[in-house]
Amino acid sequence: MLQCIFLLSDSGEVMLEKQLTGHRVDRSICDWFWDHVISQGDSFKSQPVIASPTHYLFQVVREGITFLACTQVEMPPLMGIEFLCRVSDVLSDYLGGLNEDVIKDNFVIVYELLDEMIDNGFPLTTEANILREMIAPPNIVSKVLSVVTGNSSNVSDTLPGATGSCIPWRAAEPKYANNEVYVDLVEEMDAVINRDGALVKCEVYGEVRVNSHLSGLPDLTLSFANPSILDDVRFHPCVRFRPWESHQVLSFVPPDGEFKLMSYRIKKLKSTPLYVKPQLTSDAGKCRVNVLVGIRNDPGKTIDSITLEFQLPPCILSADLNSNHGTVNILGNKICSWTIGRIPKDKTPSLSGTLLLETELERLHVFPTFRVGFRIMGVALSGLQIDKLDLKTAPSRLYKGFRALTRAGEFEVRS
Amino acid sequence: MAPPAQSQRSPSPSQPSGKSEVSDLKLQLRQLAGSRAPGVDDSKRELFKKVISYMTIGIDVSSLFGEMVMCSATSDIVLKKMCYLYVGNYAKVNPDLALLTINFLQRDCRDEDPMIRGLALRSLCSLRVANLVEYLVGPLGSGLKDSNSYVRMVAVMGVLKLYHISASTCIDADFPSILKHLMLHDSDTQVVANCLSALQEIWSAEASTSEEASREREALISKPVIYYLLNRIKEFSEWAQCLVLELVTKYVPSDSSEIFDIMNLLEDRLQHANGAVVLATIRVFLQLTLSMTDVHQQVYERIKAPLLTLVSSGSPEQSYAVLSHLHLLVMRAPYVFSSDYKHFYCQYNEPSYVKRLKLEMLTAVANESNTYEIVTELCEYAANVDIPIARESIRAVGKIALQQYDVNAIVDRLLQFLEMEKDYVTAEALVLVKDLLRKYPQWSHDCIAVVGNISSKNVQEPKAKAALIWMLGEYSQDMQDAPYVLESLVENWDEEHSAEVRLHLLTAVMRCFFKRPPETQSALGAALAAGIADFHQDVHDRALFYYRILRYNVSVAERVVNPPKQAVSVFADTQSSEIKDRIFDEFNSLSVLYQKPSYMFTDKEHRVPLEFADELGNLSIGEAANNVVPTQMVEENDKDLLLTTSEKEETKGSRNNGSAYTVPYDGSSTSVFASQAQVESAVSNPTLAGHSPQASFAIDDLLGLGIPATPAVPSPPQLKLNTKAALDPSTFQQKWRQLPVALSQEISVNPQGVAALTAPQALLRHMQSHSIHCIASGGQSPNFKFLFFAQKFEESSNYLVECVINTSSAKAQVKIKADDQNTSQDFSTLFESALSKFGTS
Repeated sequence: MLQCIFLLSDSGEVMLEKQLTGHRVDRSICDWFWDHVISQGDSFKSQPVIASPTHYLFQVVREGITFLACTQVEMPPLMGIEFLCRVSDVLSDYLGGLNEDVIKDNFVIVYELLDEMIDNGFPLTTEANILREMIAPPNIVSKVLSVVTGNSSNVSDTLPGATGSCIPWRAAEPKYANNEVYVDLVEEMDAVINRDGALVKCEVYGEVRVNSHLSGLPDLTLSFANPSILDDVRFHPCVRFRPWESHQVLSFVPPDGEFKLMSYRIKKLKSTPLYVKPQLTSDAGKCRVNVLVGIRNDPGKTIDSITLEFQLPPCILSADLNSNHGTVNILGNKICSWTIGRIPKDKTPSLSGTLLLETELERLHVFPTFRVGFRIMGVALSGLQIDKLDLKTAPSRLYKGFRALTRAGEFEVRS
Repeated sequence: MAPPAQSQRSPSPSQPSGKSEVSDLKLQLRQLAGSRAPGVDDSKRELFKKVISYMTIGIDVSSLFGEMVMCSATSDIVLKKMCYLYVGNYAKVNPDLALLTINFLQRDCRDEDPMIRGLALRSLCSLRVANLVEYLVGPLGSGLKDSNSYVRMVAVMGVLKLYHISASTCIDADFPSILKHLMLHDSDTQVVANCLSALQEIWSAEASTSEEASREREALISKPVIYYLLNRIKEFSEWAQCLVLELVTKYVPSDSSEIFDIMNLLEDRLQHANGAVVLATIRVFLQLTLSMTDVHQQVYERIKAPLLTLVSSGSPEQSYAVLSHLHLLVMRAPYVFSSDYKHFYCQYNEPSYVKRLKLEMLTAVANESNTYEIVTELCEYAANVDIPIARESIRAVGKIALQQYDVNAIVDRLLQFLEMEKDYVTAEALVLVKDLLRKYPQWSHDCIAVVGNISSKNVQEPKAKAALIWMLGEYSQDMQDAPYVLESLVENWDEEHSAEVRLHLLTAVMRCFFKRPPETQSALGAALAAGIADFHQDVHDRALFYYRILRYNVSVAERVVNPPKQAVSVFADTQSSEIKDRIFDEFNSLSVLYQKPSYMFTDKEHRVPLEFADELGNLSIGEAANNVVPTQMVEENDKDLLLTTSEKEETKGSRNNGSAYTVPYDGSSTSVFASQAQVESAVSNPTLAGHSPQASFAIDDLLGLGIPATPAVPSPPQLKLNTKAALDPSTFQQKWRQLPVALSQEISVNPQGVAALTAPQALLRHMQSHSIHCIASGGQSPNFKFLFFAQKFEESSNYLVECVINTSSAKAQVKIKADDQNTSQDFSTLFESALSKFGTS
């Protein structure tokens, strides 16, 4: 089981230390860890599980903050890693983002949260909904409230009802004047396209996010028009398994507020909404670049926030790149970023220019990979469609909302 | 509290140095302590916050303990929490002052707010001061009976904390049986889960001394308990589910219908959003069906999709952990994942530790049907910006080539790599072509044509250069200008810094000489002369050996250097299947990530810092992932054949340099060319056995080391030890308990030895060269403790040694235990002589 958790800033400073068991872990382990990270080049390269001379360390880096946990006994590795990921999720949810200052300003809350999330090295509650009832988040409302009422405690007086209920994710019956439930399909398309335009791999990772404000104990059923296209699914604990097994229907009592109902994966998609055609020809110490971007398969809605990014190979001395649409920037770390936005009706956006190679190089041997970003509102590119959402014993006034969104995940084009 | 440990790392200018601020705080706290003015809580809160933040950055604020306790009389829960936190941190170092807190904590334990009751109880148990345990029993007892589940949940964990402070108090208060009752009857699942984890820990610890406890521990994995927990599993929190699932893996179902019941019940856990639950469930499935081959295969099919989803949808850290497990599975069932190879394609943005595992997966799932696609994809990575990954992917192509029977397309690809004009690509490809040629000599014509075009000047990396030189020697009859290339390399002998390359160069020139004598003769002369004058021991020895064997008989020399070779059919695997099975048994544990069974890296009594002897310890424990081991063993085999037994003792000392014999080996490749090594040595053996003694004596003379080195041993011991002895730590522990002490004595260590002991590794290496292996070492100056073992040659009789060296008195306390008591005296002499030589050699 975990013995200690440290939060380190991006300069290796210990921002927070939480000892979990009677066996105190000395802070010097952080120095060892930091030296190790530095010797690896950067923290992105060092493995999530490291054996130090005295402890086994789990590390998860989020927004420059390293969550470090120590143990000396054998344990399931994913438990350590998942837990740290949850801690970072809960903290960023509570503090409205993660960075060094926000942690330092709110370290008392962080301590309080950790206290409820793990006891004696064993994780307890990591549901943000439940924690929120035990420890109020530090928002403006509660600050104003504390000034007005003079009650400065940010801890609610009551214990969360759910600790006693048999539905651990739902607090005891809330009441709403307006009953609302929103369902969002959010998809990310991961694709790899070869230099000849062939699709090497294309799949969609999607999530069904629900935001529910329903009184009492609502029992919902959500069904899809075409559930057979789903390759693999993962559910929030509230989803009942049998109805899904027998007729692919999601039946559940939702937690209150926002949560991820389900995530899914759909593989072997046949086409992408955009095409990107890079051309690189090099001779005599120069490389001519020409990249075209256009719509391959019109999804029916506008594709916006299109961006294209690539790392210039280290052997390039200088680059002169221009586009006929959007803006091109070359960032300090030799990343070239082209912001296109929407594709105009009258022309095909193109990026062109020349790269100057190092003096002794004739031709370019390392070819950049282009990373593409885009967003399409109103469409789930996988084709997954929600059929209907039903509520058993529907209240008199119920508003149901549905949305869909697709954006690029790891969308890569090789050259 | 530790001093500010991070201070050497650029403390921010605003960071207070400590002293004056702390006394300032002390004063302010004192003023507030008695005050009941309105708003006092807010100012207290600010102060407490400051104290805690000092504590967090590592400033010692323990001197405020008294004031903090005085200020703790408050109804503000945040203040209370901060106070609990402070008290929990410093109580251990201030046991006397901790007594002051007991009062208010006990009062809070009776508060009407369950939240405060719970928090107070948790803090009370977290004080961990041994002489305060008497105050714990009461609050814990009532906490366990509390009407609120939050308090009960905290109390259960409190019992476990109490157990760790004072086991007898915990047992005497009969807490375990209360927990057992709660576990089976409480309505709240978190209470149940906490009981389970507490009981597991308590009874496992008690089991060694009490039969009743071990019976109770067994009862936890009995059918009624398991079924009770399984039936409620959906109510448990995700982490508690992991705990229950872990318990289920220990349960042995009575028949197959029970197995199917459990699997049906747990099937939906595979769809859980928490990866830890999914992996724990998979472990249960795999364990349950181990004996049912058909079902086991179906399980692989069933778990495939959830695992792949975890890989592609989780954070990189999660992908890493899951991929490590997949790697283990794919070794056992490669065909299951062979159609899903696209999941293991690397994404540009992934961290390299994930990419590396994915490359391994791609190598593992490659078969006849998908090789083309996989190799095409891998070739893309060869042009990757990330050079280490580019290298790895070329190696992966090579590994696939060595696995496959149809290597047609792959060879073409590899040869294309050679033409890519990137130095690291060429280097990796050369090493691969060399390995490939050893397995598929029929490809030599195609390869040699391309390799011949590579200028040796463009190859700088030692491994690649060695590979190129090996090919020049091996195929000199097919390469027009081989003798001249070799000759120019010999001319630049002094500029060649790598001993490995020089060794290969010597051998290659020898081989070339036998194939094309007139063209090579002058190069050979120059090479031998340069080699004999070389400062590197191995190069020198080999040059001298060639020289002498050539003088003795040229045809014998040819049989030694250029024997007919068999193609290598199977490259030996570095990891034994036994170890793989062991890791598989520890599925869903850290072992999988480290690719070692846990006995190789975890320490049972982790509270005593006893560190495993690294590298060398592992060498003796078994053929771990450390790939140098098998190579060394092959060498040792060779030498065993070459030398008469009487000389082994003398040569052992110099063996550790990892000298290469004529076996061309590649330290970084995971395969060992075992079969060929044996062929070569078998051929060379008969003629050499009779002549080598003189040769090696002569070498000794030449070096001025001479035979007189041996008389330093007090009496030449008759005992022969096994150089490759292996013993695992648990056996060691068991034997150490069973055997009586055969000998106990004090040996003085010579001053040079003491000086060399600044790093314990040096001693381990030294003893290893005397066939005495270290199993564990630890301690700090001046006292070092070592546990050694040795095995009698060709017998499985073990000697176990505990050796405590005090560097200030230069004495070693030695305890020896032996399976065979009669030889313990001999062993002791041997040990003493080995130890006495430490630092002098």
